[in-house]
Amino acid sequence: MGLASVNPSSEGLQLCIFDLRRGQHEGQELDKILFFYPADLPFSTQLSVTGLSEGLITFTRIFSPEAACEVIEAERHSHVFYEPEPDIWMVMVVEKSKEAEAIWRTDALREVLKEVHSLFMMFHGSIRALLDKEPGGGLTRSHLYPFVMDYLRAFRKRSPWDKCCWDIFSGKKLQLPSFHDCLNERRTVQMLTVGREAAIEVQTLVRTLESSAGNTHCFSLILFQDLLVSSTLPPEDTINLFTYAVLRLTPRALSSGVSSWSYLRKGYSSSQVAGGSTFAHSGSVAEQFSGSVAEQFSGSCDTSSGDDRYRVVRPLQNDRWSKGKDGFLITDIWGTEVGDLDLATPTVWLKHTEARMYLCAYQYKSLTVIFLIPVNSILNGEQGVSMEKQKFLENASLKILKVEEKLSKGWGGENAYHVSGYRYLLVDSNRAISRASPAGKVTTLTKESLLALHMLRDEVDLEKGKNKWDHKAHDKDLEMCIRAKNNAWVIARITGGKELYMVLEKANEKLLYASDAVEKFSDRYCNGAFSLD
Amino acid sequence: MSGKASISQSSTGFGSGALSHVYIKHPPLRCSIPGSMGLFYDDGTKLLISTTSTQVFSWKTVPFSPLAAPTTDSISEGPILAVRFSLDEKLIAVQRSNSEIQFWLRETGETFCQKCKSESESILGFFWTDCPLCDIVVVKTSGLDFYSYDPASKSLTLVETRKLNVSWYVYTHESRLLLLASGMQCKTFNGFQLSSGGVIRLPKFEMLMAKSEANSKPVLADEDLYIVTVYGRIYCLQVDRVAMLLHCYRFYRDAVVQQGSLPIYSSKVAISVVDNVLLVHQVDAKVVILYDIFADSRAPISAPLPVLLRGLPRSNSSTSRSNGRESENSETSNANYHETIIYGDDWNFLVPDLVCDVANKLLWKIHLDLEAISASSSEVPSVLEFLQRRKLEANKAKQLCLAITRTVILERRPVNMVGRAMDVIVTSYSLSIKTGSYFKGTKAERRPTGVPNVNNPEAGTDVSVSQTDGRGKSIKFESNSRHNSGLINRSSTYSASDSEDTGSSEPLKTNLDDTPETQPSSLQPQTLGPVNNLVNHDVLEQQETQLATPAISPDEMYKFVFAPVDEEMVGEPSYLVAIILEFLRSANVEKVKVHPNIYVLTIQLLARSERYAELGLFIINKILEPSKEVAFQLLESGRQNPQTRKLGLDMLRQHPLHNDYVLLLVQDGYYLEALRYVRKHKVTGVRPSLFLEAAFSSNDPQHLAAVLRFFSDFIPGFRNTTDFCAYYRVLSEMNGTVNA
Repeated sequence: MGLASVNPSSEGLQLCIFDLRRGQHEGQELDKILFFYPADLPFSTQLSVTGLSEGLITFTRIFSPEAACEVIEAERHSHVFYEPEPDIWMVMVVEKSKEAEAIWRTDALREVLKEVHSLFMMFHGSIRALLDKEPGGGLTRSHLYPFVMDYLRAFRKRSPWDKCCWDIFSGKKLQLPSFHDCLNERRTVQMLTVGREAAIEVQTLVRTLESSAGNTHCFSLILFQDLLVSSTLPPEDTINLFTYAVLRLTPRALSSGVSSWSYLRKGYSSSQVAGGSTFAHSGSVAEQFSGSVAEQFSGSCDTSSGDDRYRVVRPLQNDRWSKGKDGFLITDIWGTEVGDLDLATPTVWLKHTEARMYLCAYQYKSLTVIFLIPVNSILNGEQGVSMEKQKFLENASLKILKVEEKLSKGWGGENAYHVSGYRYLLVDSNRAISRASPAGKVTTLTKESLLALHMLRDEVDLEKGKNKWDHKAHDKDLEMCIRAKNNAWVIARITGGKELYMVLEKANEKLLYASDAVEKFSDRYCNGAFSLD
Repeated sequence: MSGKASISQSSTGFGSGALSHVYIKHPPLRCSIPGSMGLFYDDGTKLLISTTSTQVFSWKTVPFSPLAAPTTDSISEGPILAVRFSLDEKLIAVQRSNSEIQFWLRETGETFCQKCKSESESILGFFWTDCPLCDIVVVKTSGLDFYSYDPASKSLTLVETRKLNVSWYVYTHESRLLLLASGMQCKTFNGFQLSSGGVIRLPKFEMLMAKSEANSKPVLADEDLYIVTVYGRIYCLQVDRVAMLLHCYRFYRDAVVQQGSLPIYSSKVAISVVDNVLLVHQVDAKVVILYDIFADSRAPISAPLPVLLRGLPRSNSSTSRSNGRESENSETSNANYHETIIYGDDWNFLVPDLVCDVANKLLWKIHLDLEAISASSSEVPSVLEFLQRRKLEANKAKQLCLAITRTVILERRPVNMVGRAMDVIVTSYSLSIKTGSYFKGTKAERRPTGVPNVNNPEAGTDVSVSQTDGRGKSIKFESNSRHNSGLINRSSTYSASDSEDTGSSEPLKTNLDDTPETQPSSLQPQTLGPVNNLVNHDVLEQQETQLATPAISPDEMYKFVFAPVDEEMVGEPSYLVAIILEFLRSANVEKVKVHPNIYVLTIQLLARSERYAELGLFIINKILEPSKEVAFQLLESGRQNPQTRKLGLDMLRQHPLHNDYVLLLVQDGYYLEALRYVRKHKVTGVRPSLFLEAAFSSNDPQHLAAVLRFFSDFIPGFRNTTDFCAYYRVLSEMNGTVNA
């Protein structure tokens, strides 16, 4: 239930990444395309999608050179545009289905594109840099393809309330953020609320980590369950690493194959098969490619079989992380060091400092501590990293114990942030933080309420977009309140860069009641940020 | 003044001081009297007494001053075995023989005698007491006689007798504890405490004695037994010459508990207590070993080193010659030669911290060299603990603590270790708040400089009262809380020792004034440079008045540690942030309130390294508690970072600081929001012209009209003001142009 499904083979979703600077000449258009999903689509179709997109971009740039088109709403499709790097475009085409399930919010879809790209950047650097490194494009394609595919597969798993029928579609389905997700905000971080004492304890742990590294500038990120506790990274990098951690590193992500998520395991194994088949598929598709492009694609898909042409790391691959004996999380994704049995330590690029960092993740019970060490500060590779890890254990393990204990004591469980009577989403866009009613509680809302909220958010997105161009520095306050068909209040309030969305079902019919409810919520949980002055 | 101090410090004091942890200071108190027959020390009244055949000379040793002049009393001729003044110093008691004690009333010179009744018993000694039962206790071989003195009849009345066999006895007025030795080896003891609460009989107990050979049984002598009072607890130290150990017994109301032994390295030892630190003089080895038996550890504080004679004028002879002064000077320089024999055979150690050189008739006071002690250990937290327990030279201990803390941070020592140091400081402060000793100190600081003399006697009486109270309680407390966890115990003992030490902290002041040597700053490395001198200067001013405790308040931590360190420190400020966090953690655990200036500094540090995201976390999690100062610093630091500025605004709104919040909203151009806020919170004192100006500059007649309308409703009589008229005209002009 509740998930808009797209059958990839039936053109439901198309996702492409292309570079406007490439393939400028007649007959070389295929060279533009860096990624296309589904890969088995005939080239003619692929070219027509990119061609249309390019045409629209060129056209709209005449009027708005800074920001070309964002979205095209056609009769049967929506085209969502995103330009992550100059002249590199990502376009997502979704089918407008007759079934109501397939209702998209373009901003949410764009967030998906942003997320793919940010994560890609974190692991592989910018697309442009890859293209510059190897102008043929093979390197880029061989990185992009498995990465985006892994991401989409991960995407399929991520939705927290998959009660959908995996077995029926057996992994051929992608869940894009639909109206069911309108009480979610992608590209934000969910934080754990901690008391002052625990917060100080956490911060002293952070400083201990920092000081144990000596003079090198290290960063750390601490999560409890799936919630962020502390980060010394700048916001953008925090979001990326947080997203990855929740996807792959937190205890829940690690154990997702086992125990309570067993039904997902089924889904997972089937998706694995599906993945395999996709690759096989793309391999066969590759034959259709002419010359080098095809070769590169097949190379990219077959990393495991030891194709040495491009050693492609696939950080989003599922179930490749596990907890080591010493508490550190280990993975073979980054391969093994040459002439060494030890597994190579993962590395990531930071957007802020543009430095390459070793990623070490340590887990104790529900606490995940990620710390990043600059690659150039460690001279002797893996040996140096394991020395750093040793130092980490010596200095911090006691503190980690203490912090975990403190946080577990204060942890209110899955439904800790549930406010009875309210279904809400709270976004602090200044700090890229969001908090929402627990997923389990959101499912109790009726479809009407969700659809109403979805519409409302679409409306708010529009307002926000307008506002962005009008007054760049000036925050605008906004308040909308809708009485839905099922007599639910659907409310949005924006003030000072903070957004509050809520649904009140079975509510009193007076508008005053709704505004009182918001006021109460604001005073109680938001320090009065949304109270009407 | 401070400059001079530090120079003399480095040249004489510290240079040689590094070789010792304990020193005596020149000049001593001279007590040579022509025709002197005997030298006595009365620990009840703390008088040093010298007798001739017909006169009694007495010097006050508290406060200790080398210039103290003796008072003279005449007595009749006769043998003198012992002399003791009554506690109110109105009577002098002189033991004439082993059966007779003679009393003089000092005012009138009247006299009466007290003799033993039977021939078989002889008087071992006597002492005055402040216990309610009696005024004087006579210890005889057959037991104790308690007498009370009746001023009217000018005679003693026997109140009570206790029959006991006594070989010898030990008593100190400080502890009010009387130990009576009996038995073949003199190792069986009966104990009494003659406290203000009454006479407490302690259970009989035996001392440990190691045997050298099978048949020889060593006999315990009275010079091998020391009663020691530290931190308000009473211990007895017993020398075991065979085992070469100093056994340590602690006295509780209902028990005597052996609490470990200390090794000795000399057949002759002596014990002093200075500021609750136990000094074990290894007389033969001519060194002293220091113990702080507050904690369980029986490890010495520092390595054995000799006692140093300080302040000896080196060029004395030359200057005296050039001055061509009288013969007195050359006499003293001669005497100086003799004086320098440290641990000479004629040294008598008096309770608790005096040394009497009997041959030369000199009295020295023993001092601790806190700088040297703290410099001898690299284990900073324990050094700080040690210093925080010092009450006698609280100022100096405090200065040392501050200097050590600064140095440790500047040297970027491991955060864990500095964290423990912070724990020590904060715990000590919180304790001093609970016991009230911190406020006692600060009150003293705030005294106008001219008055302290008036206050001193008052403090004195205060002390004596609490002293007796503390004494009475201390034993009780100990016994009750023995099985409890340490805290109650600790605080009670702290209070007891507090009250005790303020009494004796008088001399500290005079010492500080007399000799520049004792000033701090020797520990600070040269690199600290002028900033620290400046700081010290500030502190020196404070020192003028006395402190009761070296405890350091959070505010002082900021002023004398964090702020100067911040100025000194080069490179990444994140280390300092880590240290401040450790401090906040300690403060939070101890529930000590932290002054906002520390928070402000933290914000500055984080902003300086552009760690705004973390700063946000600090604010949201309330690690930096909200206050007006914090809010304004956020606004200030937020100039480079809008998110941070918003945090500051939010804090103003929540604090709530209406006027500032409204003003900032207007500044940022949110004047309509500001008006709404004004209306909701009924903020008064806003200036309409600000809003009107803002609305006018937005060039929107609707807004201007709204603002005008608002103030017309909000402020009675606004329509008659010049503001209204001016902007009303402006508005109509605007409308005119729009219409046109």
